[in-house]
Amino acid sequence: MTGALGTKAGRFKLLGLVVAIAAGWSVPYVFSNYQVSLTTLILISAMLATSINFMAGNVGLVSVGHAGIAATAGYGLAWSFAQGHGLGTQLLIALALTLVASFVFGLTSMRTSGIFFLMATLALGMVVFGLSYRMSAITGGENGLSGIRRPELFSSYWMYYFLVLVVFVVVTAAIWVVTRSPFGTALRGIRESESRMESLGYNVAAYKLGAMMISGVVAGIAGVLSVWLMEFVSPASAGFLRSALATLMVILGGVGTFLGPLTGATIVSWIEHVLSTYIERWPTVLGLIFIVVIVFAPDGIGGAVRAWWQGRRRRSDREVARSSGSAVSADMARSPGGSQGTAE
Amino acid sequence: MLVLQQLLNGLSFGALLFLLASGFTLVFGLMRIANLAHGAFYLLGGYVGVVVTAGTGNLALGLLAGAITVAILATGVERVLLRRVRGNELAEVLLTIGIAFIVADICLAIFGGNPMTLSVSEWLKGGISLGVMPYPKYRLFIIGFTVLVGIALYIFQKRSRLGAMIRAGVDDREMAAACGINVDRIISGVFVLGGALAGIAGVIGAGLLSLRPGADVDILLFALVVVIIGGLGSINGAAVGSVLIGVIDATSRVWFPEFSYFTIFAPMALVLVLRPTGLFGRKV
Repeated sequence: MTGALGTKAGRFKLLGLVVAIAAGWSVPYVFSNYQVSLTTLILISAMLATSINFMAGNVGLVSVGHAGIAATAGYGLAWSFAQGHGLGTQLLIALALTLVASFVFGLTSMRTSGIFFLMATLALGMVVFGLSYRMSAITGGENGLSGIRRPELFSSYWMYYFLVLVVFVVVTAAIWVVTRSPFGTALRGIRESESRMESLGYNVAAYKLGAMMISGVVAGIAGVLSVWLMEFVSPASAGFLRSALATLMVILGGVGTFLGPLTGATIVSWIEHVLSTYIERWPTVLGLIFIVVIVFAPDGIGGAVRAWWQGRRRRSDREVARSSGSAVSADMARSPGGSQGTAE
Repeated sequence: MLVLQQLLNGLSFGALLFLLASGFTLVFGLMRIANLAHGAFYLLGGYVGVVVTAGTGNLALGLLAGAITVAILATGVERVLLRRVRGNELAEVLLTIGIAFIVADICLAIFGGNPMTLSVSEWLKGGISLGVMPYPKYRLFIIGFTVLVGIALYIFQKRSRLGAMIRAGVDDREMAAACGINVDRIISGVFVLGGALAGIAGVIGAGLLSLRPGADVDILLFALVVVIIGGLGSINGAAVGSVLIGVIDATSRVWFPEFSYFTIFAPMALVLVLRPTGLFGRKV
């Protein structure tokens, strides 16, 4: 997992990245309107999952309330659109609300950890749900706000797909850079031992707040893009189901992996939107997947693939694999949702 | 008069919250996990209780049926699933989310999407005169019932041998195990007891709030807020938090209906910022 592009593995990864982006770019030329819209939705869901993954992977805090932040941004955009404001103002209002929501989430993350954070974010997400439900004068109550138009340039479904794809790549790259930065390293230090980082002179609370603000902005971007896709926002977008599904995407893909959120989002969205037309009890299917992944593949699909890859490498080159392999499994053992070293 | 009425409304809702939160907090105290399927347990127990009560005309049978159904489910969940990831608290909590999905979906499949309410026995219908005003009997019944359950829980925890074992497990799991207590069995028992309490809360709650898809998440939020305020693992905290949130919710519904979610959230945020372990919680 070295980022160096000079190595063979690095070049291999770069090639894979180029192929992936090219494949992503070709989607509207190959697939139907519906499939492109579904892919757009998957990319947006993956962005929301990325925002959760950033906190879970680096700070070790698993949120079940991020849909609340996304919905806050979405409502900001939808409300200002309904008021007849221009695009710039709409985005500004969405950003301002996102920052406020992230700050509130961040205040709780500063003082809590582990399960307390999970419960606090769950409650905060539900508060957004409750407020959007009750403050009907602004939010339209249960009916939500509909008829939200995208900017003229992106009104066609395929142009909108390109916009979402570009934003997705930029956001993922930005998160990658932040994760590799000294800031990201400090966050992982906090994940390992808050007290040690504290005594090293790091302002742990400020770091956690900062991480939550970054995560929140990504969630907010996903929220705005989601409203533009649906041309609609309702309290359900802030609900527990949305947050839990986004968290499921992260767990499914593997906490702390870069492609995890996209993998998880693809599977979950496919079940929710495609399989659901055949199987009425799709929430049960999702619940079963949730359970099976946590019990049998606690590092998610990404973790399972990585473990398999490490195992293969170990067979071909025992000496090299021993050091990197043990580093990876130690990393997984500490990662939230991870097992006690089953990857070894 | 209006104040008295709202106070009683708050107390009766708070009583329901205590039934709900006591099981939640008991499980947390021993297992260090938040059972996010608690709301789904509430929903399932409620549906079963409503159907049985309607069929037999006997609320006691309904309560029993709701409690037993959820207790059986909780036994299975603990034995078959939670045990596999014991020790990894986050995995256990996430597992309960998956269970919540399934239970809520199966409730929808069996009981349908239409709201259901408890048809209470004749003697609980209507109001009773409190001197200055009439007041619904059922709400007073909830308060009385919950006080009895609360006292029973208190005596069980403080006076019985099993209660002492549970407290020992809460204080120090390894030490308790070393003293010959079968902690695994105690954990199973407490998880089942917590589930049964959620089932009972569901039946009682069905007379106050209607059961419908999504009610599980609403009620889970209340349980979370109550135990965060009261302190995770503390029965006393659950009692204080329940009454506090019950009264705040009842009054804010009348005075600021638009912000009624916010008014229960504000004290929670305050507690989280000033005293993250809750009013009665201990450092974990």
